[in-house]
Amino acid sequence: MKSVIRSFLRYLVRRRSLSTLHLLGIAVGVAAAVGMTLASRSALRSLEEAVDFLRGGATHTLERPAGPLEEEVLARLATDPAVRSLAPVIDRQVRLEGDEKIRLLGLDPFLDREVRSVTARIGRSESDDARQRLFSAFLFDPRAVLVDEGTARRLGLAAGSTLPTSQGSLKVVYVFPNPTGEPLIVADIGHAQELFGLRGMIDRADLVIAEEAPFRARWDKGFKIESGRQKTETLTALLGAFRLNLQVLSLFALFVGVLLIYNTAMFAVVSRRRDAGILLAIGASRRQIAAAFLVEVLILGTAGGALGGLLGYLLSGLLAKVVGEAVSTLYFFLKPSALPWSFWNLGGGIVLGAAASLVGCLPSLLELGRVEPVRVLQGRTASRGARKTTNRVALWGALCLAVAAALFLLASLHLYVGFAGAFAFLTGASLFTGLAIVWSVPVLKPLFGSVMGLSGRIAVGNIRENLGRTSVAVAAFMIALSLSIGLGAMIDSFRTSVVWWMNSQLRGELYISTKGDVHVPEDFYEELGGIAGIGGIDIFRNVQITFRGKPTSVTSIDASVLQRYDRFVWFEGGGENWEPVKRGSVIVSESFSRRFDVKKGDRITLDGVDGPRELPVTGVFYDYSTEHGVVMMDRSTYLGLYRDRTINSLGIFIDETNPDREALIAEVKRRARARGLPVATRAEFHRRILDIFDGTFAVTRSMRILAVIVAFFGIAGALMTLFLERRKEFGIFRALGFSTGDVARLTVAEGVAMGIVSFAMSVIVGTAFALILIKVINLESFHWTVFYHFTLQPYLVTGLTALAASLAAAAYPVWSVYRKYPVVQIREE
Amino acid sequence: MNFLQPLKITIPPQAGHFTTLRRKNSHACIRDMISRLHRFLMSCRPTTRPLACHTAGDLFRVIAVAVVIAVFVLLPPVCPAAERWMEATAPRQWSFPRDHGSHPRYRTEWWYFTGNLRDGRANRYGYQLTFFRYGLATEPRLPANAWSIRDIYFAHFALTDGVRKVFHHAERISRAGPGLAGAKRTHMDVRVLGWSAVMEGGRIDLRASHEAMALALRLTPAKPAVFHGERGLSRKGPGPGEASYYYSFTDLRTEGTIGIPGTTAPLAVEGRSWFDQEFGSNQMTKDKAGWDWIALRLSDGRDLMVYHLRKKDGTVEAESSGTLVEPDGTSRHLPLSGIEMTVLSHWTSEKSAGRYPAAWRIRIPGAGIEVTVSPLVAGQELVTKAAVPITYWEGAVKGRGSSEGKDVTVEGYVELTGYAGPLGGIF
Repeated sequence: MKSVIRSFLRYLVRRRSLSTLHLLGIAVGVAAAVGMTLASRSALRSLEEAVDFLRGGATHTLERPAGPLEEEVLARLATDPAVRSLAPVIDRQVRLEGDEKIRLLGLDPFLDREVRSVTARIGRSESDDARQRLFSAFLFDPRAVLVDEGTARRLGLAAGSTLPTSQGSLKVVYVFPNPTGEPLIVADIGHAQELFGLRGMIDRADLVIAEEAPFRARWDKGFKIESGRQKTETLTALLGAFRLNLQVLSLFALFVGVLLIYNTAMFAVVSRRRDAGILLAIGASRRQIAAAFLVEVLILGTAGGALGGLLGYLLSGLLAKVVGEAVSTLYFFLKPSALPWSFWNLGGGIVLGAAASLVGCLPSLLELGRVEPVRVLQGRTASRGARKTTNRVALWGALCLAVAAALFLLASLHLYVGFAGAFAFLTGASLFTGLAIVWSVPVLKPLFGSVMGLSGRIAVGNIRENLGRTSVAVAAFMIALSLSIGLGAMIDSFRTSVVWWMNSQLRGELYISTKGDVHVPEDFYEELGGIAGIGGIDIFRNVQITFRGKPTSVTSIDASVLQRYDRFVWFEGGGENWEPVKRGSVIVSESFSRRFDVKKGDRITLDGVDGPRELPVTGVFYDYSTEHGVVMMDRSTYLGLYRDRTINSLGIFIDETNPDREALIAEVKRRARARGLPVATRAEFHRRILDIFDGTFAVTRSMRILAVIVAFFGIAGALMTLFLERRKEFGIFRALGFSTGDVARLTVAEGVAMGIVSFAMSVIVGTAFALILIKVINLESFHWTVFYHFTLQPYLVTGLTALAASLAAAAYPVWSVYRKYPVVQIREE
Repeated sequence: MNFLQPLKITIPPQAGHFTTLRRKNSHACIRDMISRLHRFLMSCRPTTRPLACHTAGDLFRVIAVAVVIAVFVLLPPVCPAAERWMEATAPRQWSFPRDHGSHPRYRTEWWYFTGNLRDGRANRYGYQLTFFRYGLATEPRLPANAWSIRDIYFAHFALTDGVRKVFHHAERISRAGPGLAGAKRTHMDVRVLGWSAVMEGGRIDLRASHEAMALALRLTPAKPAVFHGERGLSRKGPGPGEASYYYSFTDLRTEGTIGIPGTTAPLAVEGRSWFDQEFGSNQMTKDKAGWDWIALRLSDGRDLMVYHLRKKDGTVEAESSGTLVEPDGTSRHLPLSGIEMTVLSHWTSEKSAGRYPAAWRIRIPGAGIEVTVSPLVAGQELVTKAAVPITYWEGAVKGRGSSEGKDVTVEGYVELTGYAGPLGGIF
């Protein structure tokens, strides 16, 4: 037994380059899965930490359903028997020079110390003397603020520095540590009120509550009470679709990884058939050989998995950063810190690598069990038989596709059903590879024959002859390329849809501030209204609300202005939908409609400041601004419901025919800048949205790159095995008069031919995959319709990648040919 | 007193509430503030007028705690601000209920309640509820903004459970803000974050709750208010203005409910309370090691207060004294020579490592009183951290003995300061 294992293991050493390639193949597959999983986990953990840090000891928050809360409520809260501590909070943004936005918290250091440590830390490391001075400054200087360490370092601030902002210059009195890394400015609550023109108002009260149920009963009407757990849940829910995408991306990575490992294991078997035959002939049992083979695969799987765990950990740091940036632009600030190194990463990698290797080698193991020593030693390989099974495999593929189709029909049940369908589809498609190769030979042979002569024809023939091996390699490569095309085509279609949406809905001449930016003072709106010649000003306010237990949002607009200037695209009807909106009805976005199954003519109930209120839904419109859905209403309706006068942004509309257009635009810009308000032209605004869009898909793009790297190892391993296995054939070629160059061309041709077949298949599979992503996955996870739009770029990029990977994969065999070809003998023949 | 050591006052130059006033440099300011505070504490010695200080120790403990707290909490934003505060310079024309209310033109003010209670089964309990106001500025910078600071209010709340032998305490602090804390000027109505003392129709309602601790008591004066010093002008030092206005209710009939952690329903209780109110601006004194203050109600209707002012050299300050209030409300001063106070045992705190006296024999030969008292619960130490780091022992005591030849039982409150480590640091 030992000697059998030893003979197998010797092979690993003898074929160092091949073993290394297999090892790397497994490692990259595992790394992709581990990296994505860790990045996703790190993002979630950082989210929890950030929530915990800012929440401190508060168990609940109390706020108005929308907009700020009157500060008089605090006195009532203070006497509520369930309230142990309360801390008022103003939570806003200021703009720094250079347009950076920073969160500014207004806190009361006396009350807040029961909840958070931020203000309690003022001057902690200083002498008593200095501490007193700093604290007094914080309380009495209306411009005094605390700044977090990271921001202070980045902006070169220290105690005593001045920080110019959109709300005037602030004086830094102290720099505090913030473990979440979120840039943060803290001011006394009274000063914060003055900075933001919020006298008499706060944004929320953070509370420590002893008995939740009676408290909720007492504060039921007109308030939104959220427990810490709910807060985390809300934020997690906001990230829900995004997270799911990450998970699925890592599953896809693992899928390709397993294919690759299967590929690797299969080649290991194939390359060992001869050894196995000899061993059988000299008396080793099949069990011994199977065991020896398993040991080998496990060694490769374990080592590759360990390496993959390590690489995955390194990769996760990178991915986490990308994820954090995407989440920060889309949802809320998040700076995932790299997870600390844990040996579980290594352990997980090993388990994953070994398990995938085991799964991957099973078919090969069965094949090994059937090895007949005589035939093997005669030099015939079992793969010739594989041709016969090609049709049978394709049949299985068709079955998989049928299952996929059935799953897609059921996709509305749960998103995971859709994903299962996507996997079934990819599996089914990969099972067609053999057939695709067989079909493509008649096309490829003359093509390669005409370009490369005999070498080309032989190469194509070889691919078909070794179908059992080449088809798996092509399948792995094809799937990776399909992922690349599918994701690329989906992103491009999505982008085109967003551009279409922006052009129809965001038609303002200028946009002053944005949702995630500083608020627009109401008197500025009035001031602009006084400028003659402006066609209309849309007054935009967006707040996050909870509807039927899920986060969604309410937007208030000026219906008359939008009716006149915007070109909303409706599911039903047209501009006449605005008429009821002006009278108190609401319209909802497609994602809202799909998420909550709300249609035109339905009524929805929103919790207003005076309790619940029913509102009729008068239309559904296309929207890509948030996957959580939007309820849009006229400002008059909104004010009646929430009494919140906050303005997030203004859209300025000027008639096309107005001769003073340019002058008016310049005037509005000037006035906005004088107020420290950010202003963007339509083009700038649209570009910013597209930048955000592109940033969001950074994760997806990195996944595409990973898929291609994984595929590269697949195709390289396949080529090398083919090459090594047929070394003796080279002897014959030599005897027939083939030069070194001819053999090298042959090898390159094999690689390119496999690349071409893979790519050709991936064009079809990738496009179908894009459609699945758009019509099933996107619709189910984001609840919006994306229109498929053909762009050449993903196909071109993927094609070039396929070519480059094929050529690169052929590099080693070619090099080997040049180095060893002269000594290759045909002794055996 | 070592807890005064950390006191260092600095003034943010930007906080210019009083720009028209002459501004001292900050170091001079600090020295000045410290010396004034020290002088204030020292001036509580009952040397000026014997009669004036019949409860000077009482005054002393209140002032000391309050001032220490106030000083540790926050510092005046502008040094010359004190020059704008009104000072207690002449005997006062008292006018109630107005004078039960706040006197915001004086810098510091406090309302101090302690009491001994019993439930229906004669189980003993003790409580302390104190409210402090400390002025940081004579006017808020932005009167229209409720958060603009003028005063800081804080409160200490303690319950002694004589059944389970447990002591509970809590504290709160807040600026006035939008109705979060404050004291009315027209009558006694002082509130700090839901804790309150409100006087209506001659009765005082106290309310406080913190987690399972709760208190809702109604206090009715059984004896008239006692004015300290000359018609309430209680001198603290020889200089003009080194004084405060000060009066007490030494005997308040008390009834209501308390919530004790570990019990489910509120307990109906009744008993007797003691109340002090004092306000002033220029109350300074110098270091002492600490003091032992004992206030007792005898079952024959007499109230006895004695205190020992401990000096750093280990001796007792010669001006330490006491007061005896007769059942009819008349009072008399007890000089140190007329008081024999012996410490019988000690208790060491695990929290602060402070070693406190834990039982006393008190003899007042001139009044025919001899009693032995001991704490209801040994550990009645307040170690406050959140608002103000300060450690002192303030607790309910009980005992027995004789008064004018008759056996009496006694109960009351004791305050012990300066036994546990330094009281430093803010926030």
